[in-house]
Order: sequence, then structure tokens, then C-alpha cells
Amino acid sequence: MQIFHRSTNTIAKVSIFGSIFFLAFFAWLFSTLLRSSYATGQNVVRKQPVPFSHEHHVRGLGIDCRYCHTSVEKSSSAGIPPTETCMNCHRQIWTNADLLEPVRASYRDNVPIRWTRVHDLPDFVYFNHSVHVAKGIGCVTCHGQVDRMPLMFQNASLQMEWCVDCHRDPAKNVRPREEVFNLNWQPPADPRQAQALRARLAKEYDIQSLTSCSTCHR
Amino acid sequence: MDSVNPKGKCGAEAAPRPGPARLDLEAVRERLRTNQGPEFWRSLDELAATPEFEDLLHREFPRHASEWTDGVSRRRFLQLTSASLALAGLTGCTRQPSETIIPYVRQPEQLIPGKPLYFASALTLGGYALGVLAESHEGRPTKIEGNPDHPASLGATDVFAQASVLTLYDPERSQSLLRAGRIATWGGFVGEVGASLRALQALGGQGLRILTGTVTSPTLTAQIQDLLLAFPQARWHRWEPAGRH
Repeated sequence: MQIFHRSTNTIAKVSIFGSIFFLAFFAWLFSTLLRSSYATGQNVVRKQPVPFSHEHHVRGLGIDCRYCHTSVEKSSSAGIPPTETCMNCHRQIWTNADLLEPVRASYRDNVPIRWTRVHDLPDFVYFNHSVHVAKGIGCVTCHGQVDRMPLMFQNASLQMEWCVDCHRDPAKNVRPREEVFNLNWQPPADPRQAQALRARLAKEYDIQSLTSCSTCHR
Repeated sequence: MDSVNPKGKCGAEAAPRPGPARLDLEAVRERLRTNQGPEFWRSLDELAATPEFEDLLHREFPRHASEWTDGVSRRRFLQLTSASLALAGLTGCTRQPSETIIPYVRQPEQLIPGKPLYFASALTLGGYALGVLAESHEGRPTKIEGNPDHPASLGATDVFAQASVLTLYDPERSQSLLRAGRIATWGGFVGEVGASLRALQALGGQGLRILTGTVTSPTLTAQIQDLLLAFPQARWHRWEPAGRH
């Protein structure tokens, strides 16, 4: 007398064989979800207390990155400008704009503006801006075309695999130090010339491929 | 009859008390006489063993309340706890919570966020100054080291100077003006002190005593001298508990 129905044979075979696909599917699903913009924040425009337009200020007015992000060449943090930097111009222009009321209120009441952080690395990661700038990595390489962003968003996933991808071969992203803050610089069109430039710069700036854990996880 | 509490354990009302049972003494005596072993009872109700009593006994607690049928074996317990511990790590698989950046309103000059700023300062101990460099991170002093250019320290500090950074973060320090433990205004203080000083002036300062440590500051000395001129009978006591006497 059979305890199990004959179909159990098929079910058993299918499930054992199919479980491999089942697990593979879940592995794929998990890894895709973790790379989604929901998880990483990539390309997600963040709401700010003041809708500051980089496109207008950088592309429209030609203001250099360093006018506001002053400590990018000197410190690990590039710095968000104090309200005074905004008021340097905006106490003279657009003085009655409603859009700028939070800025004026901050300056008047001595209460800082609470910006939403767009590029946020976990606390167990150490990132130093000044080193990257000194070694010839341009702003656009990581932050994208900021001068075409009406509102700021995170251009890269900022995941470790993205960082390590460059760290394994930093020379492919190097540019001359003078062009670091030039958002429109393009490498030479000729691939051989471009390659030669990269190799020369990598040697000149003493660029090493730092892939040891303690480079970032200090 | 009262040894059995008709109410349930949590005070819930059990079934209504049965009426007083008639203890059939003859039947009980007969039963006891014919009994083989000893018989124990805690109440006459129990001895009577009436059906009402049996009912009451069973209705005291819900059925099976005293039995623990779901036995969690040690193995099962360990399985559950270790699985919980392992799966608790999954709480790390969240996306990063949103953070804010709060810059200055007016950033102090020369301050580079992320890099410390060093201030040349002096610490007084026993009235005498020691030149130090205070390392400050975004306005928070974190370390005191000697000032290499100062002859008293020449770049070094003694144990008091090293410890003095803690005096900057003294939790006992009052955050506001207090009067008898309650927050008061500066105006109130000035008014009260002014009133008592005016009273003292009439006496020429008799009874006013000033206690300080070693004062090497010419400004402070001059101020105290002025005070002593205004209050001729006042006295200025200088005492250094552990100083260079």
C-alpha cells in the first residue's frame, strides 16, 4: 500500500532540480534589489530646504566648485558652504525672492540651514576628498555633471564595488590636476594619446592601486 | 467549606457557589470504616465528596491550566535562539537612513572642516601662566600641548596642563546664573549685590572679605586695590591651597 501518491515522484525530482533555479533566482533578486536606486539612492533627487540649482550657479553663472566647497583640496570633507557664502551675493541680488527666504532667515536668526545629505557613505568608511583631488580625479568622475543638475542627486551608487572598480585601476580615471575642477574636460579623442596621457599622469602623480582593506576601513 | 476559593485565580468569577451540601455523616462513617488505607481530606466538603464539591474543584482553574503541554525541549530552545541570533543580522540589510548636513551660518575664519585648528593660549596655575597650544576641532578643544615658543612650556606640558582640557567640559559648571538653585537674571544679581554693597559702604566696608588665589594680573590687582580704597575696612585674603609658598 503506497503512502504517497505517484505524483510525489515528479514533485520530488522537480523540486530538487528546481530548487537550484529557485535559489539562483533569489540570489539574483537580492543582488539586483541591493543595487537598485531605492537601496543606493542613485539618481534620486533629494528634497532640500532651499531648491539650490547647481545648473544655474555653475553652468549659468560660472562659479567654481571651490567657491562654496572650500575645503575639498585641504581636508577629508569638502564642506557645505555656510549661509554667509550664499549671502555674499544674495544680500545684493534677488534680495526679496521668496525662494531665498530660508537663507535670509538663517542669516538673520543665526540658525544654520539643514541640508539633506546627498552623498552619504556609511560611518565605517573613511573617505578623504583632498587625496583624490590631489591625485587628479575630477569632480565629475564621481559626482557626475553637476552643472547640468537643476536639483542635486547622487550620480554614482557609492557602493564599495564602485569604489573598488576604480581603485583597482585608478589610471583610467586620472586627469591633469589643472582640469580636476573643469566639468567639461574630455580626454584626448585619440585612444592611444589618451592612454599615453593617463600613463604619464599616473606615474607623475605616483598613483597606486590601493585595494587593501585598511585604506578605507580604518 | 471556605478553604476552597470559589473565585478563579485572576479574580474571575467562577460558577455560582453551590448550596451548602448536606454532609451525610452516616454514609461518610461507613465509607471510612470500610476504607483500606488512610484517607485524607482538607475540608468537610472534600470528605463529603459531593458532586457539587467535585464540580467546584474543577472549576477553580480553567481546564488544563496546571498542565504545561507544550514542552519546549532544550534542543528546540537552542534552535530557536540561535536562529534568532543569526537572523537578527538581517536588520543590517537596510538602506542608509537620510542624514542632514548642518554647516555654519558664519564660518569662523581659517577653520577648515575636518582639520583641527591650533590656538596659542595660556593656562594659569598658582597665578603663573603656562603657554599652551589648544587643539580645537570645529570649535571643540580636544587637546592641550605646550607652546614651543613659550619659555614656560617650551612645547611640553605638565600633568595639570594636560588635565586642564577637562575643566573646559566640566559638567558641574553651571550653565546659567543661579539664585538658591533656581535660574535667575543678571539684573537681579546686580540689584541684590548692589544693595548689600551700598549697605557695606556705610560701614566703610567693615566685614567685607575677599578671598582669591595668587593674583599676578596687574589689571585684577589694580581693580582689587580700587575696591579696597572704596571699602577701607575690607580685607583681601590671598591663599593658594597647593601652590609655591
